[in-house]
Amino acid sequence: MIKRVLVLSVAALFAFQAGFALAAATGNPDTGPGCGLGKLAWQNYPHQKTIGVQVMEATTNGTFGSGTFGISSGTSGCTNDGQVWASEKANVFAAINFDNLAQDMAQGHGEHLTSLATLMGIPADQQPAFFAMTQERYASFVKAGESSPGAMIKALNDAVATHPTLAKVSLNK
Amino acid sequence: MGFRSHRLEPLALFRILLSCSIAALLPFIAALTSLAAPSDDSYLKQLIEEATVARLAEQREWHVLLHYQKNLFGSGFTSMQDDPGFFMAPTGKTDPQAELAATLGQFFSDEIVGRSKQPAQCAFVARYHWLKEKMHFDDRRLPPQPCERFTRWFNEFNAQSISVIFPTGFMNNPASMFGHTFLRIDAKGQTPQTRILDYTINYAAEVPPHAGPEYAIKGVFGGYPGHFSTIPYYLKVQEYRDIENRDIWEYRLDLTQEQVRRLLMHAWELGNAYFDYFFFDENCSFHILSLIEAAEPSIHLIDHFPFYAIPVDTVRLLAESGLVAEVVSRPSRSTLVRRKREAMKEEERVWLNRLVADPEALKSERFRSLSLERQAFVLEAASDYLLMRGSGAPEEGAPFREKNKSILAARSRLKVPPTDIPIEPYVKRPDLGHGTSRVGIGAGWRNDRAFEEINMRAAYHDLLDPEYGYTPDAQIEVMSLAVRHYHNESQARLERFTPLNMISLAPMDSLFQAPSWKLGLGMNTIVQGGCQLCTNGYFTGGLGGAVESRVLGRQVWYAMAEVEGDASKAYEENYRIGGGGTVGLLADITDRWKLLATGSYLRFALGDKSEDIRWSIGQRYSLMRNLAFRVEYNHRSHDNDVLATLQMYF
Repeated sequence: MIKRVLVLSVAALFAFQAGFALAAATGNPDTGPGCGLGKLAWQNYPHQKTIGVQVMEATTNGTFGSGTFGISSGTSGCTNDGQVWASEKANVFAAINFDNLAQDMAQGHGEHLTSLATLMGIPADQQPAFFAMTQERYASFVKAGESSPGAMIKALNDAVATHPTLAKVSLNK
Repeated sequence: MGFRSHRLEPLALFRILLSCSIAALLPFIAALTSLAAPSDDSYLKQLIEEATVARLAEQREWHVLLHYQKNLFGSGFTSMQDDPGFFMAPTGKTDPQAELAATLGQFFSDEIVGRSKQPAQCAFVARYHWLKEKMHFDDRRLPPQPCERFTRWFNEFNAQSISVIFPTGFMNNPASMFGHTFLRIDAKGQTPQTRILDYTINYAAEVPPHAGPEYAIKGVFGGYPGHFSTIPYYLKVQEYRDIENRDIWEYRLDLTQEQVRRLLMHAWELGNAYFDYFFFDENCSFHILSLIEAAEPSIHLIDHFPFYAIPVDTVRLLAESGLVAEVVSRPSRSTLVRRKREAMKEEERVWLNRLVADPEALKSERFRSLSLERQAFVLEAASDYLLMRGSGAPEEGAPFREKNKSILAARSRLKVPPTDIPIEPYVKRPDLGHGTSRVGIGAGWRNDRAFEEINMRAAYHDLLDPEYGYTPDAQIEVMSLAVRHYHNESQARLERFTPLNMISLAPMDSLFQAPSWKLGLGMNTIVQGGCQLCTNGYFTGGLGGAVESRVLGRQVWYAMAEVEGDASKAYEENYRIGGGGTVGLLADITDRWKLLATGSYLRFALGDKSEDIRWSIGQRYSLMRNLAFRVEYNHRSHDNDVLATLQMYF
C-alpha cells in the first residue's frame, strides 16, 4: 500500500521521463531462425559471426527474420509449433554451442558435452568413455566442427561406432 | 521502472477500434456464423444456461485464462490481451459472459480459429479443459477434438517441473538493467549437467530489426506486440551467461503435475496471441506471473504489481509466497574467470596473464613444472577468459578465439579431470536483497538552518545501499525525491528530484578493463550568490576508471572526467556549462557498514563563469535487511549540508 501511494505521488512527474529509459521493452526481440533460435545474438550483436551462427544459417536454410517465432508459428529447422525437429537436435545444438563444446571436449568434461552425448543417445554409464574419447581426439573433432556442425556430429558418431566399448551401445542416429 | 498509462475504459475501446482492421474482424464474423449454426443447438443452449446459473464467467479461473482485469473506473472488466483472435465473442475483450457463451458455442465446431489455426477446443485447450471439468461435458453431444498438435507439443516438453529463470541486471543495456525473467520447462530425467537442453517459455516484445530511436518510446508505451516463444535454454544461457556476462539465478517452482499441465495448456493458448508490451508493467516478468496464475488460479500474483513489475520483485513475491522449491545459480563467464583466479596462487595468476597474452608461454619449462592439475586449471581459466573476450565481438574477438584454440589444444593433451571449485556468483541471491523501493526520514543542518527531510525512491539501488542481491558497484536510481522543511521557513520545499541517476564502477586489472561511467539528471537546491535556497536543474555525465584494493575488506577507488550543465535563476545568464573531474572511494568497512567519499573540481566556461569544489562523505549502517541508517555530509562552496536518515526498503 505504501508503495502504491509513493508511486502515485511520483507517477505524474515520471511520465515525461519514461521515454528516457531507452531501449526498453525488449531485451529480446524474437526474430532469429526457427523456434526463435539464435534470435538475440544477432539482434544485439549485429556483427557477430561465430562459427555456430554461420552453421545455423546453413542448417535453417537461412530463413532469418522471416516473421514471428511464437509458440504457434513454424519455420524451417523447427516444427510448426516452435520446437526443434528430433532429427535436427544434435546438429542444432552443436551449431549453436560449438565454442562451449570445444572447451568441454578439451577438458573431457562439462555440461555442453554431457548434453550432446545425451542427444546422441549415449547412455549415462558410457558417457565417461565418450568424454575421454573426445578429449583424446579433440583436434580432429574440432577440425570437423570448423567446417560444419553436421561434420562434427558425423565424426563423433563414426568414432563411437569404431570405439571398442562405445560401439556396443545403440545410438539414435 | 515506470508507470502504465492506465487503460481507462474509453481509451481501451478506442484502441480496439483503432486496431480493428478488416482482417481482425474476420474471426468475429466467423464466430458469429458458427454460433448461428452449431451442431447441437439444444445442448449448447443448455450449457450456456448452466454456465450462467453457475456464474462461471465471474469465476477467478475464467478471468485468469482470459486475462480480465477490473476496470480502474466504473464496473466491468477488460482483458489485457490485445489480439482479437484470442476472443470468440466480438465483445470478448470486455464481456466475460458473452465470451464464455461464444466459447462454448465454438467448442461445437471444428472450424479453424485464431492465429494458430486450430479448432477452438485445441486453440484454447485450457479453457476447454476447465469448462469441461466444471460442467461435465457429455462427450457424445459435444465430441472432443483430438488436438494432435497440442499433444505433440506438450509431450515434447516431457515436463517435470517449471523454473523461473532470472538473468541478473546488465548495466550496459538500458533494456536489461533490471534483469529479465522467463520460464524453463524442466524435463523429466534431466540432470544438472543436461538442464541446458530444456525448453524455455520466453515473453518478449517483437521489435522490427531496424527500429530507430522510436524504439525507446514505443517500448515503454506498448507500441510493440509481445509474443511468447519456446527457445531452448542453451541459447538463453549463451546469450546471458556467455555474451552478456550476467549471473543467472534459477528458481524451481513447487508445482504439482496438474499445475504444470495447466500452465503449459495456457502457454499454448497464448502462443495464439499477443499482448502490447509495456516496458514497465506489462513486461516479461508480469506475464510470467500471469502464466503461473494459470497454473494455480487461487494464487494472486499480478495484483501486486499495479504500476510496474521489476523482475526481482516478482521473483521475491514467488519466494515469499512459498512457491519456490529450490534455488540454483549459474555464474557468468566473467564470474568463472574471477573465481578461478581467486583460487590461484600468485605464480599461477602470473601464468594466467601470460597465457592469455601469448599462448606460446605454455611451452615454457617453468609452466610445465606446475602439477598437471594446476596446469589444467590455469589453462581452463585462460580459455574461459578468451571465450569471454571472443564472444559477441566479431572482428575484435577474432584474436582471442585464435588464442583459445592453442590453449584448448594444450588442455586436451593433459589427461586429468578439471579441478572442481565452488563458484560463488558475483550477484548474490537476488530475492534476498533489500526491497527495490525506499523511503527515508531524517534531519540535519544546512549551514545554520536546521531541517527535517523525507525522501522517497521508486527504484532501485544506490552505491551505499546494502549490496546483497544486487550487481556490485552499480547504481540505478529512478524517480527519487526529497522534501525538506527548514525551521526558519513556513513551507516545506522540494529539495531534490532525480528522475535518473546511474553509476557503473568497473574495477580494472590485468584481465578486466571496462570503463566506469555515470549519468544523471534532476533538480537540486543550491546556495549561490545572493540566493540562499534556489532551485537548480542539472545534467551530468562522466567517464573514467576504477581499481579495487583489499585491505581489511574491499575498496573501490575511481576517477572520472565529467561534464555538467546547470540551469537556475541564481546563475548569471541563468545557466552554466562546464567540466571537471571526480575522484571517489567506495569501501566496505564491515559487512554492515559502508562508506562513500568523493571529491570534485568543476570549472564552468559557458554561462555563469565559475568554479566549484565539492566533497562528500556518506556512510550507511545496515540494521536489518530492509532497514539502514545513513549519515551524509555534502560540501559545496559556501554550503555545508549534514543529513542523518533512517532508510526503509520495501
